[in-house]
Amino acid sequence: MSERQDLEARLQSWRQNQKKETMEYVLLSGAGILTVLLVWQAVVMTGMVNERVLPAPTTILETLIFKLGNKAPDGNVLSVNILASLQVALSGFLSAIVIGVPLGLVMGWWTYADRFIRPIFELVRPVPPIAWIPLVVVWMGVGLQAKALIIFFTAFVPCVINSYTGIKLTSKTLIDVSRTFGAPNYEIFRKVGVPSALPMVFAGIRVALGNSWSTLVAAEMLAASAGLGYMIQIGRTVARPDIVIVGMVVIGAIGAGLSLILSRAEKYFLRWKINR
Amino acid sequence: MERMNGEPKALRNVLYWGLPVLAIGLIAIGWIAFSGSNPDLMPSPAAVWSRFIKTFTKPIAKTTLIGHAWASLKRVLLALMAAWAFGISFGILIGWNKKARAFFGSIFEVIRPIPPIAWIPIIIMWFGIGEFPKILLVFIGTFVPLVINTSTGIEMVDRINIQVGQIFGGNSSQILKDIVIPTALPSIFAGIRTSVSSGWTTVLAAEMLGANAGLGSLVTRGWQGSDLSLVMVAVITIAVIGALLSVILQKLEKVVCPWNH
Amino acid sequence: MEPLKKRMEVKKITKTFFGKKGYFTAIEEVSLDVYDGEFLVILGPGRCGKTVLLNIMSGLEEPTSGSVFYNGEEWKGLNPEIGMVFQKLALMPFKTVMENVELGLKFGGMDKGKRRELARYYIELVGLAGFENYYPKQLSGGMQQRVGIARAYAVNPKLLIMDEPFGKLDAQTRYQMQEDLLKIWEKERRTVIFVTNNIEEACYLGDRIILLSDCPAKVKEVYPMDLPRPRDMVSKEFLHLRTMISDNTDLSI
Repeated sequence: MSERQDLEARLQSWRQNQKKETMEYVLLSGAGILTVLLVWQAVVMTGMVNERVLPAPTTILETLIFKLGNKAPDGNVLSVNILASLQVALSGFLSAIVIGVPLGLVMGWWTYADRFIRPIFELVRPVPPIAWIPLVVVWMGVGLQAKALIIFFTAFVPCVINSYTGIKLTSKTLIDVSRTFGAPNYEIFRKVGVPSALPMVFAGIRVALGNSWSTLVAAEMLAASAGLGYMIQIGRTVARPDIVIVGMVVIGAIGAGLSLILSRAEKYFLRWKINR
Repeated sequence: MERMNGEPKALRNVLYWGLPVLAIGLIAIGWIAFSGSNPDLMPSPAAVWSRFIKTFTKPIAKTTLIGHAWASLKRVLLALMAAWAFGISFGILIGWNKKARAFFGSIFEVIRPIPPIAWIPIIIMWFGIGEFPKILLVFIGTFVPLVINTSTGIEMVDRINIQVGQIFGGNSSQILKDIVIPTALPSIFAGIRTSVSSGWTTVLAAEMLGANAGLGSLVTRGWQGSDLSLVMVAVITIAVIGALLSVILQKLEKVVCPWNH
Repeated sequence: MEPLKKRMEVKKITKTFFGKKGYFTAIEEVSLDVYDGEFLVILGPGRCGKTVLLNIMSGLEEPTSGSVFYNGEEWKGLNPEIGMVFQKLALMPFKTVMENVELGLKFGGMDKGKRRELARYYIELVGLAGFENYYPKQLSGGMQQRVGIARAYAVNPKLLIMDEPFGKLDAQTRYQMQEDLLKIWEKERRTVIFVTNNIEEACYLGDRIILLSDCPAKVKEVYPMDLPRPRDMVSKEFLHLRTMISDNTDLSI
């Protein structure tokens, strides 16, 4: 057997080994989730826990399917609730990006902007977004705009902070080189500052997304007539734990889905960074 | 700083110190003007101040503002202590051991995207609105960032640091204790910082949805009783304590990770 | 003269890495002997092979084929008699100089007072007395490297492997460190394997030089160096040797 063939054979066996390890990992992961579900099902079916306190996973699944086409008990089918929540969350989240990111970038680049905006920002920053809910509701009622404004507050802060820090970290050398070539300040901002801040900006957007989705639930629980947060709140008042858990599962799944989409976008926009 | 060229030095100084003053001034004027024309939408600074004084002379739900702040803080602190103990150990476990990561990590990944606030209804259904369910909620809210930061920190430890441990004769637990965990400490501390701010937010939400004491309950009370001054007093107190907590943590980090400074 | 004792023999070591895109051979059929008490320099111009070879010698990694003999017996796994100075320093940023140097002693279970004393001796030996309580970040590159050397010496290794320890230092510091290293070596005589990509450094330090080829790394030539120490870097003999090795070296860019 020649050396080359020998290496090819070793490569094959290495690949098989890798495949086996991946399989083991996947199986073990599945086993973890399956164990939880089985234990959960078992404690409910054996009557150790009352079905009215904790419904079995199978009941949850039934309720989920039921909610797809049924308005009870909160008055909306699941898809309407999902759309209502997404609309609120995304409008607040997106406007926070559109306003917060440029603001942070400008503050990080131009000292006077920093001196003017910073004090205002520092006053608003430590207020937890949930604490805005009563004020915003008094000002604007419980409509889409009011909730979107609350989401805006929660997503705005990380967008500004990260854009600010990101552009402050722009390499001095890069700025000096551009200046040597006679580029005007605005041009350097646009072509050097902004791109080098992008990774931090994305990290901020990621935090903003998580905040938005979680504040959304709070906003809908306190003031809404539709949406997933509203649905779980109603589920509680009519003592339907299955509805509540279905709501939690859907909230979690959509949150995970949104963050997956964001990762894809991040990979696309930062593709120059991948190979460092 | 060197970008501020072009203007004479005097003008530069005026702008540099004048702009922040101007900003604060504008906010104050805006607040006074807005509350003057719409007193039912926004209480004036004076009204908020007198409401603040009144929280001490006329207690709400049998306790002063300080009592309410302490009620909230106590819940957060109790939950944090539990979350630090469990969250950091769990993070170390799934960061260090690949099998544990596969088995428990998957369960954690399923639970993780559910925001802590979404747990409120089910927890109230299970445990009512006493002290324990609130602490449990804050625990859930603080546990997640701790586990994420700790396990990421442990996983990111450079392989060469572990090789150093091996070359110098360390066994697995020595390497974990003396090399891996300290290397991950800044990351763990970032988790602690996130956990504190997340805990502070979660306790408010929990209190707003049903409590007799705590700053969150003051917000709800003021809101439902159309006492916006009380809402403002509570919100400002919340913000001040939140800011203080983050300053304390920054100082604490310098003590815990002195090599980073 | 009695024949030199072989401390370590490396026999026909090959290391191939497998990946999703295929395989890559970093070192191929490398054989070499390490004699007791010598200062052996492994000179490798290329980017590949050197660290892997050292990791195999110390037992951190397994070879794809071939074997390592230590004191005449085949060795597998970590060898406790080997100390190492790492290329990327790999000092613990959260430990003071003292704690870094103590690391191996602590792992070995030595009690605190004793290991303090021993560590202090080696800190003084590398010229860092007074810096015991500094963190690595507070030291210059050369000083950090001294900590790495003290840490390796402190565990009293029979064989000390140094992986491009001066690679990141500026020329001035580098010369100083080379001289100091020789002084330390003469005082605390150990078998040393020193890896570098710098020909001048190799000629200045080595009792023998093993020249590796570029990827995959193979042994190209072994040069005995009989020039007496301290060597004069501009003497005729030195320059001659240097040119000879240089002409035989694969350029890698």
